[in-house]
Amino acid sequence: MIAFASSITKPDVYARCAELGISRARQPDSEVYPMPSVGSIFKSYNAVLEHFAPRDDLEALVLVHQDAEIVDDDFCRIVRRRLAEPEVGVVGCVGAVGVRSIAWWEASVTCASFINRYDEHGGGDLPSFSWAWSDAPAYARMGEVETIDGFVMALSPWVVRNIRFDEDLGSFHGYDLDLCLQVREAGRKVMTADFRAIHHRQLNMVPDPEQWIDAHIRLADKWDGRMGIGTGAGTWRDRALRAEADTDAALLLAQMNSLESDARVNELDRALLQTSTSASWRLTAPLRRLRLSPSGRRRPELTPRRLSGGVAGADGP
Amino acid sequence: MIAFGSSISGAEAYRRYAEPGIHRAAEPDSQILAYAAVEPVARTYNLILEAAARLDDLEALVLVHPHTEILQPDLCARVRRALSDPDVGAVGCAGARNVTGIAWWEGEVVCGNVRQRYEEHGGGEVSTVRWADHLPPPAEVEVLDGQLLILSPWAVGQIRFDETLLLGHGFDLDFSLQLRQSGRRLLVVDLEVLHHRPIELVGDLAVWVEAHIKLAEKWDGTLRDPTADEETWKRRARRAEARREAARAVAMSESLKLDARVLELERQFEAMTSTASWRVTAPLRALNRRRRRASLRNVQPPDGA
Repeated sequence: MIAFASSITKPDVYARCAELGISRARQPDSEVYPMPSVGSIFKSYNAVLEHFAPRDDLEALVLVHQDAEIVDDDFCRIVRRRLAEPEVGVVGCVGAVGVRSIAWWEASVTCASFINRYDEHGGGDLPSFSWAWSDAPAYARMGEVETIDGFVMALSPWVVRNIRFDEDLGSFHGYDLDLCLQVREAGRKVMTADFRAIHHRQLNMVPDPEQWIDAHIRLADKWDGRMGIGTGAGTWRDRALRAEADTDAALLLAQMNSLESDARVNELDRALLQTSTSASWRLTAPLRRLRLSPSGRRRPELTPRRLSGGVAGADGP
Repeated sequence: MIAFGSSISGAEAYRRYAEPGIHRAAEPDSQILAYAAVEPVARTYNLILEAAARLDDLEALVLVHPHTEILQPDLCARVRRALSDPDVGAVGCAGARNVTGIAWWEGEVVCGNVRQRYEEHGGGEVSTVRWADHLPPPAEVEVLDGQLLILSPWAVGQIRFDETLLLGHGFDLDFSLQLRQSGRRLLVVDLEVLHHRPIELVGDLAVWVEAHIKLAEKWDGTLRDPTADEETWKRRARRAEARREAARAVAMSESLKLDARVLELERQFEAMTSTASWRVTAPLRALNRRRRRASLRNVQPPDGA
């Protein structure tokens, strides 16, 4: 039996995203456990693990963020196939190698089969690089990784019974990386698999930078070089000075991008104003009133996976 | 006598921006020390300092970036007032306090009416370092912006720009710190200035990062509290690496938000201009454009040229 669980702080979001995806992916015998959050995600997920640990018929436990939507009907088949290898502990659809911190995306990402769907500015989709394998770059592959993104993660029964999220690490950030590190330290594998999900989230990916920074430091201190976490080139002095410089460079780049974007917005505003106040626009207004424009936002179509060819990988689809 | 100096890396920029501003602000007896740029900028500025130091009646030297246009007609009077305090070593139109690196704008910015004019995307104008809260001048600062540096005769005679700095990045921070180390004060005064520069503030960020490190090493213990031992460096590195990755993630988020905003407007514009009615009236607009061009050709310039 493949079980699904979520820690819920916003029931409407859960209903719109996770529940929809779970209903698509679940099998008739799947148990779905939508649990109201009991505190941090570490604590809530541990409660879920405790709930399922005694179940003898458990084949996998799928932890789904309330804002994550699984899109594959054959999700259970994909997970079952991946977990058929007994040494596999965790499976996800986004993963990286060479990870040194909770900013796993700063490492070498090997698989990212998800869409970030946002509502701001009329809404839109940001498909990641292996959403459509037919368009994926050469470095895209499925297989063993060091960590996965925890927004959808399938755990083996062994993990459910033997590993726990570290509640000392904070309230949210780093729970997934730490779990993967524990699993790997215990000799099990973390793998990516060929399923896809939509992450319905705002574009502001780090709304709480100070908490994120604290979690980053706490995790680096906990692992302190083990499994590569917290390592870096040079002495501590070298690393401090370089990181301080890099920080200012990142901030400067952000300001330049913002200035560039504002300039483009001003240019478009001027063009829109010029268009809407032109004689020809005013002249043809009655024609436009006759036409009913469809409402709703645009979304890219879900590009079909091409399972039969064109994808090279360690153990590609 | 107040002298003006410029390191001219682009003759056209100097002619268009710096020169008109200098003429606007200069007094009849002002000397203009315009030198062709020798890399790095510190080397040319040192040449200008040497020349200015030989001027017996020097009251101040105004170093103007070729892309900087002084809009303040009474600049000399304001400079004289600010430099009447012998402790003041330099004056500028923008600067900052609590600075920890060459990104002085990450500190507490003090700035008057200083604006940046860009030409990309149809052109526009924004407040300089617009992302920072601006404290009003006059105020004492730790670092002055190098786009416009006004030096006292003492500074001209005693301090030199560091020519070893990588591509000149941070020359203003370094000069400011040297002045303060010598016991002189730095002031931002209310000056109206326009920087004509592209949106891209720094072309090669990798070089800028190296320059940042070099200056941090040079001024270790001045820009930040001295770091005593390995364990303290480790704590500092851990926090810095976390802050760096947070800054990058935040920058990426901001970039996505900005892209979404632009995309929204582009969709709106596309929706407007792809309608049948807009296409049908295209000949009308083309006719109007031709008419406007023709009428512009018929208008004679006021001087009859």
